[in-house]
This record gives sequence, C-alpha cells and structure tokens, in this order.
Amino acid sequence: MKKIYMLKYFISFLALTFCLSNFSQEKTKDSLYKSTYGLKLGIDLSKQIRMLTEPDYNGLVLIGDYRFSEKIYIAFEIGSEKKLVENEILNFNTKGSFFKTGINYNIFKNIQDLENEIYVGLRFGSSQFDHQINSFTIYNTDQYWSQNNIENPISHNNLSANWLEFVVGFNAQIVKNLYMGLNLKVNRLLSQDKPDNFNNLYIPGFNKVLENNNVGVGFSYIIQYQIPFFRKNTN
Amino acid sequence: MTPLKNTFLLIFLFQFLLSCEPDDICLSSIEDTPRLILGFYDINTGEIKEINNLKIQGLSNEEIYVYQTLDSIGIPLKNSENLTVYTLTKDFNENTPSSGNEDKIYFNYNYNWNYISRACGFITTYDIQDIIIENDSENWILNTEIIDTNIIDEKNIHVKIFH
Repeated sequence: MKKIYMLKYFISFLALTFCLSNFSQEKTKDSLYKSTYGLKLGIDLSKQIRMLTEPDYNGLVLIGDYRFSEKIYIAFEIGSEKKLVENEILNFNTKGSFFKTGINYNIFKNIQDLENEIYVGLRFGSSQFDHQINSFTIYNTDQYWSQNNIENPISHNNLSANWLEFVVGFNAQIVKNLYMGLNLKVNRLLSQDKPDNFNNLYIPGFNKVLENNNVGVGFSYIIQYQIPFFRKNTN
Repeated sequence: MTPLKNTFLLIFLFQFLLSCEPDDICLSSIEDTPRLILGFYDINTGEIKEINNLKIQGLSNEEIYVYQTLDSIGIPLKNSENLTVYTLTKDFNENTPSSGNEDKIYFNYNYNWNYISRACGFITTYDIQDIIIENDSENWILNTEIIDTNIIDEKNIHVKIFH
C-alpha cells in the first residue's frame, strides 16, 4: 500500500518536471535587458480560503523572498495555525507557529520586460505546537457497557517538529511589482517530538501527518508585493 | 498564458491524488480493548471443568451478557471506573427468573487508555487489584486465583475460578 502511495508521488512529480522542462524550452531570442532585484512580501491566501471552507481552522501565513542572483531567490515564511480535528474517533485541537526558510531556483526564461518565475525550491521547516485532546473513543468491539466515548481533556504541550519541503510553483507579475503565485509542496519529516500516548496527527506548517509514512503535502496561493531595490542587466 | 493553464491543471491533479487516505481505516487485525478471560476449574482436581447453564450478567445492566454451558469466557470491564460487578448464576433456567445459584463477584482494577492510531483511537488495558466474592449462604464459587494481573490481550486465561 505504501509503495503505491510513493509511486503516485513520483508520477505526479515526473509529470510536473516534464511540464516544467517544456516551459523552459519556450525560449525566444536572447537579448540583453534589465530585470528587477528586490524583496517580495506577501500573504499565503490559501489559509484564508481554508478558513472560509473549514470552520474549525484558523491560520495566518506571511511569505516572502529576496532575489539573490539572476536565478536564485532566498525564500522565507512564518505563520501560525490552529485546527480542530473532529471525527467519531478523536476530537482534538492543535495550535502552534512555524517558520520555513530556503531557496527558489527560477527555471523560467522570461521574454523581454516580463518578470515571471517558474521555480523549484527547497525549504527547511520548523514548528512548535500543542495538542489538546478533548474526547476520544475507546476501540472496543464489545458494547456491553456502552461507555466507550471518553470526555477527558489531555494536554500535550511544547512539542516540535522539523521537516524538508520540496516546492514547485510559479509567480506571475499581474501589475508592476504585484505578484500572484501558486505552489505545491511535498514535505518529509526529519524529526518530531512524539507526545506520550498520542501522536502528532497534525503539525502547523506541515499539515496533516500520516502515521504509516512521514511524507506530507500542501499548497499555497500567494499574493506578494515587490519592493524594488535596483535593476540589473540580464541575459 | 499556457504555463498558467498547465499549472492549474497540475494542481487539480495533485488535489485528486491527495483525496485517498488509507490512514483513516481501522483494520480489524488490530486488537481492540481486551476482555477479562475467566476459566472455570474443579476445586479438587484442578482440571478445567464446565459449568452447566451459566448466566453472566453485569450488575445494574438489563442485558444478560451470556447464558450457556461453558468452561471459559471473556467478560468486558468498564472503561472509566475501577470496579465492575457481575453476577454469575449456575444452573439457571430462563423460564424461572429466580432459578439457579447466584454469586456476586467484584473486580477491582486500575485502567489505562492507550493510544493506538488515528483510525482506531484508544484501547483500555487493565491491572487487576483484587477479586471479591460476596458471601451468601451457599456460594458455588469456592476460590479465585489471579493468573495474570495485566489485562493487555485475550490470549490466556487471566483469572481461575474454582468450583
């Protein structure tokens, strides 16, 4: 079962890289022009969209990047999330904050005067969080005493987790210095503090954690404003 | 802009791949909360010996847990109380409610809730402290012996009941 899962990720990645390599080959005539170097700051709007569709979710994520060289951007992200997970088995709250930092490599060759990006990137992410279990169900096929739902608050505080993210996405300049972007992420947990007698089922910044493997996924919808610093010749 | 269109398409594909999660199914191969396994033994020979028409019912529970002739049985303990009381009635006849010899048995224990998984939740395990047979004029249960105080699975008999 796990193998099929991994295979799916690989296939989707192959599909992604295939499309991306197509983009990068859409080259036009090479000519010298100037492009902007600056600092982009913005917000991950996917969290606000999620707050509308999931009533038990709260999140705010600030996102940005700094253009370091022609193709390399230093990317960073800070945020906090609060989520109530509720089903017939478990009812618990997770809240916490996180940061991510890493680089984006722009593989898109812009035609003159356009400043769009299609990038692949790598992030290191780290999160600090608490879980509060509100109620849970005892797994018992024998229902003779029918008291399997336990309402007993249990707190697991000061937990942490670190992970790596592989990111693919784009940024498109809509008007001058205003960017809209989307990205997809595949995360892999590096380390985590597991609570006693419970598990990290949700990690702020990482998203849902599966118990039978340490891979997670996510996506962002980003609006950013670029503070231009200078313009530099680009090939 | 074609790159944009392609990327949107990929996002939909990606979301589709996310939608199935094997993590959410509690497999039946995972053991649930263990019951307390009672074995019935002859007081003289020490051999396992079945009980004729045994009725087992929890105190203040309307439902009869079991009514049959048997030599061992698993009975559920309460999840969040330290005491479960059962009445064990030997030679019961379902047509005459007061028939047979009824003995009341008290199980005192500590309990723990152990996390299993997202899909299965928790199970309860027990640590038996002691077992008391309420004295009446004609007890058919003559003695009890705790074989295993830790009730973590249903593989072996936990408590021997001599009659």
